This record gives sequence, structure tokens and C-alpha cells, in this order.
Amino acid sequence: MNRWARVLVLFGGGAAVALGAELAQPGTRWAALALIGGAVAAGELIELRPLYRQAIPISFAFMVVLARRATLGEAAMVLAVALLATFLVRNEPSTVEGRLALFVERFVEGMSAALVYRGMEEVFGLPMSRAQLLTALALAALAPVAIAEIARMVRERHVSVPISGRTADVALITSATLMAVSDLGVEGHGGMGLWGPAVFTIPLLAAWYSYEHLEIIRRTYDQTIHALGAAPELGGLVRDGHAERVADLCVAMANELGFSRHELEQLQTAALLHHLGQVCIDEPDDGRAPEPVAIAQAGAAVLRGTRLLAPSGDIIAAETMPFREKISSRPSVMSGQILKVASAFDELCEGRPQRASGALEALHSCPGYLYDSRVLAALEVVLDRRGLLGDERLAVNL
Amino acid sequence: MKTQRTPDHLIRLTVLVMCGLVVALTAFAAVVTQPHIDSQELVGVLVLGVFALAATNSDVDARAAMGMSGNVMVLIASLVVFRYYGFFLGPILVGFFGAFDLRQLRERAWSKLAFNASAESLSLFAAAGLFWLIVGSNSATADVSQFIGVVVASTAYLGLNSMLIAIPVSLTCGEPYNRVFRQIAAFNAGGFPFAILGFGLGWVYLELGAAVVPLLLVPILIARRSFASYLELQASQEQTIETLILALEAKDPYTSGHARRVAMFAGYVGEELGFGPRRMERLRYAALMHDIGKLIVPNQLLNKPGRLTEAEFERVKRHEPVSVELLRRIDFLAPVAGDTTTEAAEAAVKGDAALIEPAIIHVADAFDAMTSTRSYRRALSQETAFSELRNGAGTQFNATAVDALICGIERRGEVYGDGHEIDTHEWAVAPPEAGTGSAGLGDFVPEEQVAGA
Repeated sequence: MNRWARVLVLFGGGAAVALGAELAQPGTRWAALALIGGAVAAGELIELRPLYRQAIPISFAFMVVLARRATLGEAAMVLAVALLATFLVRNEPSTVEGRLALFVERFVEGMSAALVYRGMEEVFGLPMSRAQLLTALALAALAPVAIAEIARMVRERHVSVPISGRTADVALITSATLMAVSDLGVEGHGGMGLWGPAVFTIPLLAAWYSYEHLEIIRRTYDQTIHALGAAPELGGLVRDGHAERVADLCVAMANELGFSRHELEQLQTAALLHHLGQVCIDEPDDGRAPEPVAIAQAGAAVLRGTRLLAPSGDIIAAETMPFREKISSRPSVMSGQILKVASAFDELCEGRPQRASGALEALHSCPGYLYDSRVLAALEVVLDRRGLLGDERLAVNL
Repeated sequence: MKTQRTPDHLIRLTVLVMCGLVVALTAFAAVVTQPHIDSQELVGVLVLGVFALAATNSDVDARAAMGMSGNVMVLIASLVVFRYYGFFLGPILVGFFGAFDLRQLRERAWSKLAFNASAESLSLFAAAGLFWLIVGSNSATADVSQFIGVVVASTAYLGLNSMLIAIPVSLTCGEPYNRVFRQIAAFNAGGFPFAILGFGLGWVYLELGAAVVPLLLVPILIARRSFASYLELQASQEQTIETLILALEAKDPYTSGHARRVAMFAGYVGEELGFGPRRMERLRYAALMHDIGKLIVPNQLLNKPGRLTEAEFERVKRHEPVSVELLRRIDFLAPVAGDTTTEAAEAAVKGDAALIEPAIIHVADAFDAMTSTRSYRRALSQETAFSELRNGAGTQFNATAVDALICGIERRGEVYGDGHEIDTHEWAVAPPEAGTGSAGLGDFVPEEQVAGA
């Protein structure tokens, strides 16, 4: 069963329960609560997946609608049944333990929205004014997002609260507020009933659609770069896995040197494609390997033909430049130095991690104008952290 | 003497007729409804008008791909808002704001502006009329009749707008009106969910006031922004592939334009077979990159003037599995990457393979190779190429792909091959009229005949 079939089953289940409740006892609130429960269950399978951020399900928005409609007891019951249904139908996480942990997390997140809303009702008193209602609902919408962030930090065992790239959270909180306010209206009038949450789900679905497309094209783009990086290896011109290993090392060293995410991405692309030039130039007639400068210049020329790849082309061109302290602070030059060190290190290791110490020693033994000492220090830190520098590691004065 | 009517004349005539209709209908509506414009209605026109203006002019790329989403939402909202005020002309005035594309204004494209404004107004006249007919002018309550009214009005607006826009597009492009209408209607249909959202926007404006409208606009703007990022990255992906094709052509200048032409012919087949946009996109990328493995072939071998040795030929042949391997590393293209094994090739020819795309690219590749001049022979005529494809259908080529390609080219009335080549080269030694081998089709002229010639 694909995702959309599962979404339909879950929402259809909620609708069937609502119909049953209405037929059994017309006019009770359970029919509406069952519909919202169906939306929570189905919304669990539709996630907003912004780049570089944790995915958040659109069920969080329906949890806020539930928080306003239901008492705490009713909310707990609806959430438990809805999340149990999702638990049974979803196929991710793949393990039962993983799905169980997610069930508990989502239940806590849903209840946090209900608790915050009821808490704000206590603070403001009833009836709430328009501003008070919007504040209470916005805070209720914020609660599950905040709990999900805390859960992520616990999982990763790392405290970080990034501020940038929060567009999905903002979209979710604003939509959830609007959905809940449109359901029952403000100050006793203007409620659209469940038509409101239904209509205001559209912006969330539009956001989901955009994020999905962005994620797919990002993956395709990254895979295209990785595939092209492998072309010289498939042609037998470079040792297998060289580009991937160099890219991995470059990213680790650049992280160590405090590069921004944008600079990291450009360096990674440059590392993956730094031998591309080799497939573009003529092989020397005498059977010698082509000159590194010629390879770098040819590769840089190809990449400079594409706006997004041009900075990576500059990095590749800078790779063959000798190190000069006065100009090495320029991002492309510094990145070029990192690429030069990482590539030379991999060549010296011949792709074998156990040769790391010897390779590092060889790099340190080179003339000072060849490699940037800060980059070599970063390489040493990265290798040390990976446990690749054994007891025989040499003490090097930098 | 009868004068020849050019598309420009007809377009100007259409604009004039439509503007006349708008004026007449506006006057009629003004007489019938006798509107009393008070401050509430004026503020409504201004606020929604500014929203419509912003929606029309924000983020041109995202708008082009996401349809008229922002604008249609505001226009349908205006139906809800002004019905409440009993102001029939409100939506039409908001429509005027929404028609002002500032880029066209800067370019002084008066005819386009007049056309857009009149098309918006006429579509809104129809939508507003139907909406009022279904819902009446009761106070604003969200009930089923209002929802049905919005659905009907949105359909009318999007449908009529497609009909009107199709007129100048069809005249300018010289394509049949029905085909253009279907394309525009399919594009406009993407705006339907946003038309329904316009109902919500109208409700928010009436019940919570204009100050709360940003709560609705923020997620929409976020969606548009990510969509714009998607389009930007897609363009970069396209540019990256384009750059690599150029790098490939720099290695082997005599096959210049080959990848693009193969992608074009593959597209013809995909269109004939009714592929959807996503499948077409995948087919195009795979066709563009079908020879990407040639990157690993040394330049000297690709451009060697004489015959290749067996070892050299083996080295050149390695580009095929490498092309497949590179495509397989990209999830999006992996299913159509094809297979170089004999069994897979046979399955593709017989139509037993899971996907027909590799067979389509094979046919498109062979057709382009036959209709292009190569160092070993001049381009064949289109008739000869078609005949070779037909002869090989079912044994060497997939018959469905062959029929679809021939049908696609004939339907367009296009001619390729000898005397009709798109990219031509200066050859140091003029290629012979006929030669051995062509696109793996075998010999057109027996070896001994060539040797004896």
C-alpha cells in the first residue's frame, strides 16, 4: 500500500467512525472529534521536509484543532486511538520499537498542545478576545513543535537550537492557528465548522508539495554530482573511491575550520569533481600522466560554465596554487588549500586508512609554501578524532 | 481586394471586442445594481486590490510554475467579501488590479495589459454571476451552498479564463485552438485548490479583519519560496547537464547537438505515447545523458581519423556500461538507465522490459545517427532512415517506439537527414555518400563493394 492509500485508509477510518457516531447518537461532539482524529492519523504520514531540518508532520496542526474542540480527557482518547491507527498502518520507522517510541512522542506532543491551550484559557479567562484567542492557539501550535525539537536533541544527544531555516515551523504554526480559529470562530461568531480546518489545510499541502519537490531535485542534483565525480574512477583514471574520500575529508576539515554550510557545500562539490578535468583533456602521447595544473584548469573551465558550480570551479583552480599566507583568507583559496591537502593525503594513503600517520608525516615534511599549516592542523585533528593516528603518531610542531 | 488578416490584426480585434464587452457589462451591472460605494467597500477594493497586485507581480518564476495560485485566491475571496457588501462590481475592480503586471507596464505592452484586464473582468463577471445565483446575497455564513457556489464560480472563472487566454496564444503560435485551450486549462486547473482557499481568505477578511490575513498568506508565501528554490535548483541541474554535454561535445565535436536531438526525438515518442510531465522529464534527462560515459574515452580515440584497432574499439565501447552505471547512480534516472546485457536488450526490443524508455532512447539515438553526417558517410535521407527503422522493428528496435517516432515526426511535418541537418560541420575530407556501419545498424553497403569502389 503506498502512502496515499494509507492516508486515505486512515482518514476514511475516521470518517467512518464519525458517521457511526452520528447515526448512533445524532448531534453529539464525537462525530466531529472522530473526523479530527482521522485527520490527525492521516496527517502523521504527510511530513513537511525542509532541507537541513527535521521533518514535521502536518498532524501537529490538527492537534491544535483538537485541543480547542476537546476536553483534556477527550483529546487524550482521540489522540491515543488516532496514533494507534497510524502505528498499525505506517511502515516507517521500520522497527516496532521505533514506531512505539514515535507513538509515545506524538502523544506527548498532541497533549502538550491541549494542555497549553487549556492553560492559556485559565490565564486569560473566558470568553477570550480575538487577540487572546490567537495568542493561545499560536502557543498551543508552538508546543508540539518545541517538544519535537527537544526529542530530536535527546535522540542526537546534542543540544542545538538552530534559528535559521524555520520556514516549515512557521507555516505549520500559522496554519494551525488559522485552522483552529476558523473552526469555532471568535467571540462566539464566524465559525466555519470543520470546513475551516479543511480549507486552511490547503496552504500546508502546498508547502508540503514544494518541500517534496525541492527535496527530490536536491537529491537528484547531489546524486548527479556524485555520479559525475565517479566518472574518472570508472574510466580507470583515478583510484576507486578517491573523490568520495577526499570530499568526506574536506568537509570534516572545513567544519573544523569553521566554514559556513554554503562554503562547505561548494567545497564538497569541488572535491567530488576535482578530477573531472582529466576526462576533458588530451592524454600526453608519451604515456605520462597529465599535468595536475592542466587537469585543474580544464575541470574549473567546465564548472565555470554553470552558475551554481562556478564557485566550485574556482576552488578547483585554486587547488594547484602554492600556499601564500597573505591571500589564503579568500574563501575559494582557503577551500583550494583544503582540497589540495585532502587529495594529497588520499594519494599518499593509497585509499588505506592505516597509512594515515605516514601520510600525515609526509605532508608535514613538505616545504612550507606547499601546504597551509592551519589546514594540516585541521587534518590532524580530524584524523585523531577518527582514531586513525595510532601510538606511532609523530609530535609535529606547527 | 480582400486583405489578408494577420494574427496581429486578429489579436488587436479580439482585445477591442473584449474591452467593449467589459465596458458594456460594467455599465449594465452599474445600472442594474445601482451600487452605493461607501468607505467599507472602498477599503475592501483597495486591500484586496493590493493583494491581487502583489500576487500577480511577486516571484515571477514561481508564479509561472504554480499557475495563477495567488491571484485566483484573491479574486475568489473578493466574490465572498463583496457579496456580503452587496457590491457586484467589487470583484471586477479587484480583477483590474490583478491584471496589472508591472513588467508588462514597464515594457509598455498596452495590448497585453488591456487583454489581461478584460479577460480577468469577463471571467469574473461569469464567476460572480453564478456565485450570486447559487448563494444569493445572504449574510456570510459558511454553509454547503456557499461552498458549492465557490466551487462552481472557481470552475467558471478558471474555465472562461482558459478559453479567452487560448485565443491570442493560438493566434500567435499558429497552433490549433483546442490544443492550446487544453494545455492552458490543464495549467489553470492547478490553481483550483487556491480558488477554494479564496473562500477561506474571504472569510478571514470578513470575520477577523485584514490584519489577520497574513496568518493565511505566510504559509502560502513559504510554499512559493520553496517552490522558487526548487525551480532554481532544477535550472541548475539542467545547466549542469548542459555544461557536461558541452564538455562531451568539446571532446567529440563531430557529434555536436547529438544529445539534444536525441532528447528531442525521445520527447516526440514520449508525447505520442502519452507520457506525463514527470515521465517526460525523466526521459529527457536520460536521453541527454545517454552518451555521458564517453567522458571516459580519450579524446584521441574519439577523433582518430583512421580505423580503430580492436583494443581501441574495446576502450571506446566501454562508454556504454559506464553511461548506464552513471545513470543508475541517480535515483530519478535509475529505472530508465537501461542495461547493456543481451537479455535486457532483447526484452527492450520485444517490449517485455518494465519500462520502454531505454528502447525509446535507442531508437532516437539510431535515427539521429542515421540522419547526421559522420566521418564515415554522409547523412541518409529521412525516408531511408524510416525504412531502416521499420525493417529493424521487432528485431533490432522496439516496434512501438519506432512507430511513435515516425508518427511524431510526420505529424509535425519535419524533415531530417541529408540536406536538412540541424548542425553541420566543415569536414577536412568530405565523407563518402555511403559507408560501412551506421548507428549499429549493420552495413548499408557490403564491405567488398566499399573496398572495390
